[in-house]
Amino acid sequence: MNIKKLAESLHPFERRVLPLISKYRFLSDLASASGLKEVEVMRALQWLQNKKAVEVFTEPEEFVDLDSNGRKYVKVGLPERRFLEVLKKGEEIPVSKLAEKSGLNKDEVNVCLGLLRQKGAILLLKKDSKFVVKITEKGLKLLSSEFPEEKFLKGVFPRDVASLSKDERSVFDLLKKRKKMLVVDVKRIKSAKLTSLGKKLVDLGVKDETIVDSLTPEILRSGDWKKKNFRRYDVTINVPKFFGGKLQSYRYFLDWVRSKFVALGFQEMNGPIVESDFWDMDALFMPQFHSARDIHDAYYVKRPKFADIPSSLIKKVKAAHESGANTGSIGWRYSFDVEQTKRCLLRTQGTACSARMIGSGKLEIPGKYFGITRSFRYDVIDATHLPDFYQTEGFVVEEGLSLRHLIGLLRMFAKEFADADEIRIVPGYFPFTEPSAELFAKHSKLGWVELGGAGIFRPEVVKPLLGKHVSIIAWGMGIDRIGMFKLGLTDIRQLFSHDLTFLREERLV
Amino acid sequence: MPTISFSLSDLNKLLGKRLDKDKLEKLLPCAKAELEDVEGDDISVSFNDTNCPYLWSVEGLARLFKGVLNVSTGLYSIKVSKSGFKVVVDRKLSKIRPFISCFIAKGKKVDDYLLKQIIQLQEKLADSFGRRRKKVSIGVYPSKKIEFPVSYKAVSPSLRFVPLGCHEELSLAEILKVHPKGKEFAHILESFSEYPVLMDSKKNVLSFAPVINSELTGKLDVGDDELFFDATGTDEDSVYLVANIFAAALADRGFKIESLVMEYPSKRIVSPTLAVRRLKVNSDFVNRVVGSDFGERELKGLLERMRYGYSKGVVVIPFYRGDIMHPVDIAEDAAISFGYDNFGALSLSSYTVGKPLPEVHFIDSSRLLWVGLGYQEVLSAILSNKDLLYDKLNVSDFGTVEIENVMSHTYSCVRSWLLPVLLDVLSKNRHVDYPQRVFEEGLVSVRKGDSVVDERHLSAVSAHASASFTEIKQAVGFVLAALGVDFVVEEFEMGCFVPGRAAKIVVGKKQVGFFGEVHPSVLENFGLLVPVVGCEINLSLVLEYKSKK
Repeated sequence: MNIKKLAESLHPFERRVLPLISKYRFLSDLASASGLKEVEVMRALQWLQNKKAVEVFTEPEEFVDLDSNGRKYVKVGLPERRFLEVLKKGEEIPVSKLAEKSGLNKDEVNVCLGLLRQKGAILLLKKDSKFVVKITEKGLKLLSSEFPEEKFLKGVFPRDVASLSKDERSVFDLLKKRKKMLVVDVKRIKSAKLTSLGKKLVDLGVKDETIVDSLTPEILRSGDWKKKNFRRYDVTINVPKFFGGKLQSYRYFLDWVRSKFVALGFQEMNGPIVESDFWDMDALFMPQFHSARDIHDAYYVKRPKFADIPSSLIKKVKAAHESGANTGSIGWRYSFDVEQTKRCLLRTQGTACSARMIGSGKLEIPGKYFGITRSFRYDVIDATHLPDFYQTEGFVVEEGLSLRHLIGLLRMFAKEFADADEIRIVPGYFPFTEPSAELFAKHSKLGWVELGGAGIFRPEVVKPLLGKHVSIIAWGMGIDRIGMFKLGLTDIRQLFSHDLTFLREERLV
Repeated sequence: MPTISFSLSDLNKLLGKRLDKDKLEKLLPCAKAELEDVEGDDISVSFNDTNCPYLWSVEGLARLFKGVLNVSTGLYSIKVSKSGFKVVVDRKLSKIRPFISCFIAKGKKVDDYLLKQIIQLQEKLADSFGRRRKKVSIGVYPSKKIEFPVSYKAVSPSLRFVPLGCHEELSLAEILKVHPKGKEFAHILESFSEYPVLMDSKKNVLSFAPVINSELTGKLDVGDDELFFDATGTDEDSVYLVANIFAAALADRGFKIESLVMEYPSKRIVSPTLAVRRLKVNSDFVNRVVGSDFGERELKGLLERMRYGYSKGVVVIPFYRGDIMHPVDIAEDAAISFGYDNFGALSLSSYTVGKPLPEVHFIDSSRLLWVGLGYQEVLSAILSNKDLLYDKLNVSDFGTVEIENVMSHTYSCVRSWLLPVLLDVLSKNRHVDYPQRVFEEGLVSVRKGDSVVDERHLSAVSAHASASFTEIKQAVGFVLAALGVDFVVEEFEMGCFVPGRAAKIVVGKKQVGFFGEVHPSVLENFGLLVPVVGCEINLSLVLEYKSKK
């Protein structure tokens, strides 16, 4: 990025901080000099560092502060000055009287004796087996001016040790040795330094007045923006995640499936959730003793117990089961229970809707029908089973349809709904179709996967419901599984997830 | 779906051909079967066709493959000689378990593998095809221990014998009460005062049908080389079919099959019956169903590979197949014989107009409007439970479809409204960033007496620190206006809302929904610490009103 563009892209915080860095290194100093909060300065420094205009350091720094004695002496004066004041008149004063006369304690007196002798400011003499102290010329001279220690202690604390001058440093070293005079603390300190790019930016000028930051109604009204440049934003920067309103992904996939069927000339059908054995199974020529009709496979309903089914229809279906009646079949050869057929249950298969449509008296021939229906099975929940799931099913009715049309239809479905080119169609078994077939498609990761089943409705299904025979290709697809492929999911429970984070982040297509 | 296990080398021996795993897998679709598992020589295979039990044995599978692979084609038959023995059937069984079919198989030693195969076929036939022994059950015995003739009769529950695997005598009644098999199958006999047993001429019990064999005569062992077989049951065709299937399987193993006479009170049947059926089917019919152009000769070849006999428009169905009901069944087998892969596909040619259900456009429009308001759509199970639907909402049951054979309490009824489902969603996402706005559109079922109405409902909830009545009223107002629905709002009380902060939506004098501020006691039930407002609209009613207008 050229330097002009870079200058235009600076945030107001950056503009305020950048020119100050040549004067102030430390975060706190930059904050007070710029009038920004420390966090704001820090953000500015980080952005500037990203732009390679500054270097930011985090260093351990020593800070010196006054300790309890130090604070006390700033108020009452250093002990050595008070000591010398007592000796100012040149008298010899016995050591034993010094504490009393100066108001210092014994420790302080001892410290002063050592310290002032070292400086040559006093003499310690022995007189009549007693020690006495006397000020020297040097001592008098010392007393007349400010001690370097006093000067040091009068400074502003805490102070950065690294910033001490050479003289200050030696005073600091001396004072540090004295009892409770100074305290030294180590802090991690942020500091900044301009890079050569930073210096160039400062030279170029980063004054706020030449730049439009947020566009406001005031700026638009005044037309101010005409004389200024707009701040350039770093468009690559991360912003907090935002979740808008969204359709549920699987439901949206089902919407797509519906529109696909409609485009292929199919009309939608449906039926009730609470079905009867009759429409769910008997009309589909599933014998009443069939293993899929156990209480372990279907949910039966407490109330209503029995459904209203036209008795003329029951009679025809019963005859087909028992003897094949006029269908050309010998039937299942058992005694059909006309009470059981009315028993209410939750629809176990969407094919019940096909049976209803064929028996409705409104069947259009030729016709194509589909349903996207909830079905219910007595199943333990795991990654591939739910007791409550979607099925798509339907049929094509037309004179003269054959197994070869069925194969053509399955190929078309595999292509349209699963983008599958490589498919396999093998013989299948459903009690209501003959011939029957199953459709498998090659999945890039999972290998051969069953997509659905199909067949030509048995005459024993069609004739009792429709009153005549016509060829009907029935088909069903495990749409939940196809949906999982399309959405890249591996667990069927994710199709009905209540995890809001998942729902918000899941892809729609 | 029945599943069987066998060894591949055994299949190859029966077949007289060497198949490897891959070849087997390619061949299985013609038996509507799939490879389940392979471990070295051990194969397990599952069958889709629940109505074709002869295939549920390695012998049956080999018999079909012999045809398909042209090893041996045409109508299958076995040689049977007369044993000279009979089984006398008691008149009193006619209401209990009337039918029986027996045979004797001789001349091969039973080894460990064969014993397992016999037990496997016996179990598959009795469990899957025999409806857990209710319709058909099977007994196999070492024939040398039996003194013929055998009688099949109804006896008092006090009759005693030693059941297989036991050491002491138990009465039939005791067996049903204490023996594991007795307890498992007692329900089959619960309505009868006498029970069926097979007994030899020395009055030794062979078995208590359909429950258990006797320890004395009913224990088949490795090394036995003469077997007596019985199938008993309530459905005559099925009983004979099961005996035929078993006889064919043992004959394929090299056993010699001997027949017995089943002496019923009013008829005599030679068992195994080995009865074949004839069905009129010609190439025109098959071609119509399949879309093929098979000539008569070609059809004959195709059907003979599936082990049928065929001549001039008549198919002869082998005695071990009871699944052929209609000529379409023959047409399918011809197509399988030809190979589904070998047919060219035909496209549909008729013109039809596609259309969704009439309500779909309206429903989808409502969903889009809620999305526009920033709501996330959810999709939930239709099955629910009354605790969630009513108790947690402080609302009483307004008509629910309940499941009788409940598997788990969570899914014990059909949902009757959606608001509770959405509150449940919120309660599962307490740790997720707010605001949370979710909606669901879907089916609910409401029961009124003995009738059930499926309705399309839409519910939406908004949960965040400043959720308010105003917010939900604005949202409902926006959506209904955009849907072109004129409505008025009236005061409304419902246990789940704060009194005085709920309203009903009235369209053409009919209540079509409600909205309001969810009561804190309900929030407490869901563990929610954030205000929630919500609504529920019966789209079916709204649409009904709109289409009337």
